[in-house]
Amino acid sequence: MSTTNNEREVILSVRHVDVAFDVGGKKKFKAVSDANFDIYRGETFALVGESGSGKTTLGRAVIRINPCTAGEILFNGERISGKISKQQDRNVIRNIQMIFQDPAASLNERATIEYCISEGLYNFHLYKDNEDRIAKVDKALEDVGLLPEHKSRYPHEFSGGQRQRVGIARAMIMEPQFIIADEPISALDVSIRAQVLNLMNKLKKEKNLTYLFIAHDLSVVRFIADRIAVIHLGKIVEIAESEDLFKYPVHPYTISLLSAVPMPDPIIEKNRDSIVYNKEEDDPNAAPREMREIRPGHFVYANDEDMVAFEKRLEKLESYHAE
Amino acid sequence: MNYFKKHMFDKYSLKKDDFGKLPQENEPETNEAEINEDELFGFAEFDEKKSEVIAAPRYSYWKSVWKTFISSKFTVAVAIFVVLVVSFSFIYPAFSDYDPMVAPHINDVDWKYLAPSWQHIFGTDNIGNEVFDVVWEGARNSLIVSLTATAINMIVGIVIGAIWGFSKKMDKWMIEIYNIISNIPFLLLAMILAYVLRNKFSHLGEFGAFIPLIITMTITDWIFVAYFIRTQVMIIRDREYNLASKCLGTSTWTMITKNILPYLVSVIMTYISRQVPALISYEVFLSYMGLGLGQQYASLGRTISQYTTYMNGYPHLFWIPVSILAIISISLYIVGQKLADAADPRTHR
Repeated sequence: MSTTNNEREVILSVRHVDVAFDVGGKKKFKAVSDANFDIYRGETFALVGESGSGKTTLGRAVIRINPCTAGEILFNGERISGKISKQQDRNVIRNIQMIFQDPAASLNERATIEYCISEGLYNFHLYKDNEDRIAKVDKALEDVGLLPEHKSRYPHEFSGGQRQRVGIARAMIMEPQFIIADEPISALDVSIRAQVLNLMNKLKKEKNLTYLFIAHDLSVVRFIADRIAVIHLGKIVEIAESEDLFKYPVHPYTISLLSAVPMPDPIIEKNRDSIVYNKEEDDPNAAPREMREIRPGHFVYANDEDMVAFEKRLEKLESYHAE
Repeated sequence: MNYFKKHMFDKYSLKKDDFGKLPQENEPETNEAEINEDELFGFAEFDEKKSEVIAAPRYSYWKSVWKTFISSKFTVAVAIFVVLVVSFSFIYPAFSDYDPMVAPHINDVDWKYLAPSWQHIFGTDNIGNEVFDVVWEGARNSLIVSLTATAINMIVGIVIGAIWGFSKKMDKWMIEIYNIISNIPFLLLAMILAYVLRNKFSHLGEFGAFIPLIITMTITDWIFVAYFIRTQVMIIRDREYNLASKCLGTSTWTMITKNILPYLVSVIMTYISRQVPALISYEVFLSYMGLGLGQQYASLGRTISQYTTYMNGYPHLFWIPVSILAIISISLYIVGQKLADAADPRTHR
C-alpha cells in the first residue's frame, strides 16, 4: 500500500489482521476482520467509526491487550503480534504507549500522581536515582501544563482535563515512538477538548511522535489527522488523506458518516439530510471485496461492480470541486 | 486604605504579587499608606499556571480513615471499650490463680452456687470456683484461638484469592477445589480432626493445646476468604487503570499490591469484622460439642456448655458467660464495621 508514499518510512504496518472473541462454545465474534494499512512515521493516522465498529479493539490489538486471531502487526519491520520474546514485549511497551478514553477510570485512585506517572519508570528502571526520577516526573508534568506540586495529590482531586493530561504525561515519560490515543477527548468537557488536542499536537512536534488516533467525531479528526481510515462493522471501508476523504468520499458509509456531522450554521443544519447507510441492502451474492486504490493514496473497500459506481461518484465530486 | 490592605492580607493571606503591581517587598512600611488606587486595583498579569493550582487541602488516605473513624463519639466509645475488655481478658487471667484442674473449694458447701455479690462478682459455680476467674480465663483462650485463626485465614485467603482472581488458568481448578471443600460436612471434618490431632501438639506447652482447634478452624475456612477476594479482584481486574498498568509493563504482583488490594481495604475490613465474631462462636460451638480445647483449658464455649445444666436453678452461671461472649462479639463487630466504613474513601470529606 506504500506505493505512493515510497519516500516515507512505515512505522506500523497492520497486515490482514483479524481479531475475534469467544462467545461461548465454538462461536466466535469477529470484531475486526482483514484490517490492512500502514502508518508512516510522524503522521497522525485516525481510525473513525461508530460505536462497536471495532476501532478500540484494533487499537488494543496493536498494543497487545487483545490477541490477533489472524494476520500480523509489524512495528519498525518487526512482528509484534502473536508470540514474541520477552525482550521484544518489553520493547513494544517502551515504544508503544496508549492514552485512554476515560480519564476518570484510567488512573489508579489509590496512588499519588507521582506513582501514576513513575509507574513505567519503575517497571523499566529508567532512572539513575530517586532524584532523577522525581526530576523526570516534574518535567513530564510541566510538559503537559501541570505543576510539580501536583505530584503528591490523588487523581480524584483533579478535573477531567487535568487527569487526561496526567494520562498523557504517564505515556510520554516512557519516551515512546508511537502512541495510540483511544478516543482521548470523547469523555472530556467540550471546553477543554481543544486544550488536550493542542497539547497532543505540541507534544507530537516536540517529540517526533506518531499517533494512531481513534475517534468517532469527524470534526475532531479533520482537525488533528493526516490520514483517516473509516471502519464499519470491523471492516475498514475507506482510507484517504484527511482532506481527500472530506472532499471525495466515495464509500456510501463514509458519505453517511460525513452527512451526520453537525454544522454550526442554522440554515445548513435545517436543510441537512442525514444519509442512512444500511449494510443489509448489500447484495449477499456480490463478488468479494478488497481494498482498491481509487485515487493516489485513496483506498476503498470494493469489488468490480462497486468500483464503477464509486468512480462515477468520484468524477462527479471532482468536477464539483473543480468549479 | 491602609486598613483595607491590612485586612485583605491578614484575612485571606494573599501574596503581594497577586495584585499585579504592588510595592516591592523591601520598601519601608511607612510607604504603604501612600499607594494610590491605580496601583492597588491594577490589572493582574495573566498566568495560565494559576488555573491549575488545586486549592483543596492535601489528601492522605490513612489520615482520612483515622479522621472519619474518630468523628463519631459512639464509635470511639465502643473502640475504647473493646480495647479495655480485650486487654482485661489478657491481663486478668495472668494474675488470678485459677486453674481448671484445681478446685480448692470443691468440698466447701458454703462456696458453691453463690449469687453474684461484692465478694464474688460473678458468683461461684458448682465446684466452688469463682465464675469471674473462669469466664475471663475462657474469654482469653477463646480470643487467642479466634484471633489467630482469623489472621491465618485472612493472610492465606488474601494471598491465594488475589492470585486466583488474576489467573484464569488457576481459576479452572481452584473453583473445583472450592466446590469440593464447600460440600464437606464441617462437623464431620471437625470430629475427625479433633480425634486425629488430639495430644499431637501437647509438647508445645499451653499454646500447643490450641493448635488442633486452630487447625480445625482454618483448614477449610481460608478457601471461603480466598473465594471472596477472588470475586472482588475479578470485579476490578479489567478496569481501565489496570489495562493502563499492563500497557506500562507492570508485573501482576505489583498490580495486585498497588492497584487491587488498596481498593479492597474496606471490604477486607468488613470481612474481618465478621470473621472474628464468627470464629469466636465457632470456638464456642466446637467446645460445646466437646471438640474444642481439652479438659485442662477453660474456654467460653466449654464454660457455657458446662453451665447449661444450671440454666434454671442458677441462671447467673449460664447467662454471665453468654453475655460476656455477646458483648465481646458485638463490640468487635461494631468496631470492625466502623473501621471498614472509615476505610471507604466515599465516606471521606
